[in-house]
Amino acid sequence: MSFDQVFSLTVSGITVGMIYALIALGYTMVYGVLEFINFAHGDVFTFGGFVAATILIRAGLSDSSPLPVRLLWLLGAIVLAVLITVALGLSIERIAYRPLRGRSRIIPLLSAIGVSIILENMMILVFGPESIIVPQAVIPMQFVTIFGSRIRVLALIIIGVSIVLMLVLTYIVRSTRVGKAMRATSQDMEAAEMMGIETNRTIAFTFAVGSALAAIGGLLVAMFYGSLTWDSGFIYGLKAFTAAVLGGIGSIPGAVIGSLILGLAENYGVGLNLGLLAWFFVVGLVGGLYIQFVRAPQQRLKHVREEERTPAYERNLVRQYRLAPYYAIRTMLGPRTDALVAVSARHALRIMLGNVFLAVAAAVFFLNGNYQIDPEWQNVIVFVVLMIVLLFRPAGILGEHVPEKV
Amino acid sequence: MAKATNGGTGARRGRIARALGRVPRWVYLLGALVLALAFPMLNTSGLMGTIWIRVGIRSLTFVLLALGLNVVMGETGLLNLGYIAFFAVGAYTTAILSSPPLGYHWPFWSLLLLSTVAAMAFGFLVGLPTLRLRGDYLAIVTLAFGEIVRTVFLNWRSVTNGPGGVPGIYPPVIFGWVVDKPVEFYYLVLIFVAIVMVLLTNVKNSRIGRGWNALREDEIAAVHSGIDATRMKVLAITMSAGVAGLAGCLFAYYQQFINPTYFVFLQSVIVVCMVALGGMGSIPGAVLGAIVLDSLPEIIRSLFSDWLPGWFGPNVLATWPDWLRTFFTDFDRYRMLLFGIIVVLVVIFRPEGLLPDAMWRRETHEEDPREQERTRQGLFDVEEGTQDLEA
Repeated sequence: MSFDQVFSLTVSGITVGMIYALIALGYTMVYGVLEFINFAHGDVFTFGGFVAATILIRAGLSDSSPLPVRLLWLLGAIVLAVLITVALGLSIERIAYRPLRGRSRIIPLLSAIGVSIILENMMILVFGPESIIVPQAVIPMQFVTIFGSRIRVLALIIIGVSIVLMLVLTYIVRSTRVGKAMRATSQDMEAAEMMGIETNRTIAFTFAVGSALAAIGGLLVAMFYGSLTWDSGFIYGLKAFTAAVLGGIGSIPGAVIGSLILGLAENYGVGLNLGLLAWFFVVGLVGGLYIQFVRAPQQRLKHVREEERTPAYERNLVRQYRLAPYYAIRTMLGPRTDALVAVSARHALRIMLGNVFLAVAAAVFFLNGNYQIDPEWQNVIVFVVLMIVLLFRPAGILGEHVPEKV
Repeated sequence: MAKATNGGTGARRGRIARALGRVPRWVYLLGALVLALAFPMLNTSGLMGTIWIRVGIRSLTFVLLALGLNVVMGETGLLNLGYIAFFAVGAYTTAILSSPPLGYHWPFWSLLLLSTVAAMAFGFLVGLPTLRLRGDYLAIVTLAFGEIVRTVFLNWRSVTNGPGGVPGIYPPVIFGWVVDKPVEFYYLVLIFVAIVMVLLTNVKNSRIGRGWNALREDEIAAVHSGIDATRMKVLAITMSAGVAGLAGCLFAYYQQFINPTYFVFLQSVIVVCMVALGGMGSIPGAVLGAIVLDSLPEIIRSLFSDWLPGWFGPNVLATWPDWLRTFFTDFDRYRMLLFGIIVVLVVIFRPEGLLPDAMWRRETHEEDPREQERTRQGLFDVEEGTQDLEA
């Protein structure tokens, strides 16, 4: 496993991660404002890619057409696709989501699933069941050599475009009037409305921004892989949502970080051999042990009343985290103990189980160091990452723990 | 707040609906039973083709699935988008242990039990860690779980034969009776549907069922009334997984061949749509939803390509525009589109479903829904006020 192999895996991981980020931003913004998973977002993304690709096919470009013409068509296709996709996103919000606002959680999600099915089947009917292929004439085919590995120029373009879009988005959310309205709406919709913010318009704007980003992402994916299928949205949407959850749903930088982690994880996962992957578990284990023996007892101590925080109590707490299984079993089987002790014993046991899992995984991977995971399992890696994250840190990396609203 | 999504339809129920509501329940039950028992007669008397018995069996399998999913989704209010994975576990357990490739030929009863138990074990394993999650996260995690299971069946070639599937599953033998004709299968599945319905109705009306409903309506209040939320939820997901495993076993026996394409995400969504259409938390609703959604596309297709030409002569549709005719005769292409549209419309206009749960309906009938809403709003304001005072 040479350095340039790892480097090219890193670049493709970041490229894929950036594309996930473009989709994940749509999920995370909508979730931030409405606390609702826009299940149809993945299909909005495919739709954008389909529209752009159709326009480019209709343009009838060939390799002999001059470069400015090709670029102009590309730009025109992007603009038109963004406009149409935004219109689609807005009408979905208006028809299928707005009437359901304020209902219990499961109802809008069902509606979103229905919209997703409708969109996929509309795409089959309108564009046909075959995958759509972007004309070669608009895809940059050059390679550059960085650190001894050949990298597609298109990958660098994707990374650049995504970064620019994210900066624009950050500017909108941080510094404009409508961005302020978005933040206010996501904090408390009723209060925002009382302050004179038109929440309906703000929510529509959120959907519009998400759809625009998804449309651009759709075209970039279609260009990068050469084609797009009507059901691509499902898997991309799922992965992007995973990324958003990973980073902490509702948080915009979180979505980007989660997407990058996911893109890298899925590329390293099938690209590196198990011996190298084991080091990730080792790093995780070091962090986990730090949490178990240093961080968690301190954190737990904050929940204890001042007057109870005697040195003896602190010592006892640290010991609890050190001997987690013993205390957990004792509190489960033994006589009733202090509720706080029971809580921290369970907490300690959970951390300990996580560490044991990491240690076992690292050992297994080291022992089978020369194997490589089959690319067929790439999606499974993503889902396993999702499940582990949700189990140990449901709020995600950058997210705060949100208590259930009553 | 506003957990009960009644939409205020109660007050507007028509005279016909009220008259139908006065008919005692056993009449409906008896009617359904007679219809279900007599259904194969249509085939044996030559009124309908053999295809309908197959549609019937498929619908009944979906009825089982919808009944099972109704436990988690309708009763407990947890959305499970990977439900088909439990079905797959049951089907593959049966298929692997009763087919030539690996040389096993286990008897029917043992496999029926094993499939159910295997699916329940999976449900338990998924449920225990994930049920701490909030509703919509749970939906995504179960979705991911479903995809993992499917990928495992797809890639674990030595046991499942990968995408090729498991062929040649032996027909079940029940006390010496070899079940291999479609009509026999129909009655076999029907028996299990009846058993599951009786079981689930009893559970629903028990302490457990009331606990589930309480959790669905207001989890915090339920927990504070002494309901062990985790235990109840794990119980619900395990039980629903068991029903899916049972359905999977019967499905594998009937199909005689299974491969991973039967267990894609779309199938989970279809079952979810059935429960939503029928009315969440309502057992007759789940049955009706499954039958309607599964057979409606087939009925529309047959109506326009076989029955209408059969009744009114072959030229009955000749004056119709071409696209309209092919729309109906070629209806299979629009099947999923119809599903999607039905789900969105039902969720917007009739969120309680076709046959709503009695408890749900009673809640909406107690008084004028507007009045109810006002009371609730008043309580809410009082709560908010005291909170503000404290802060």
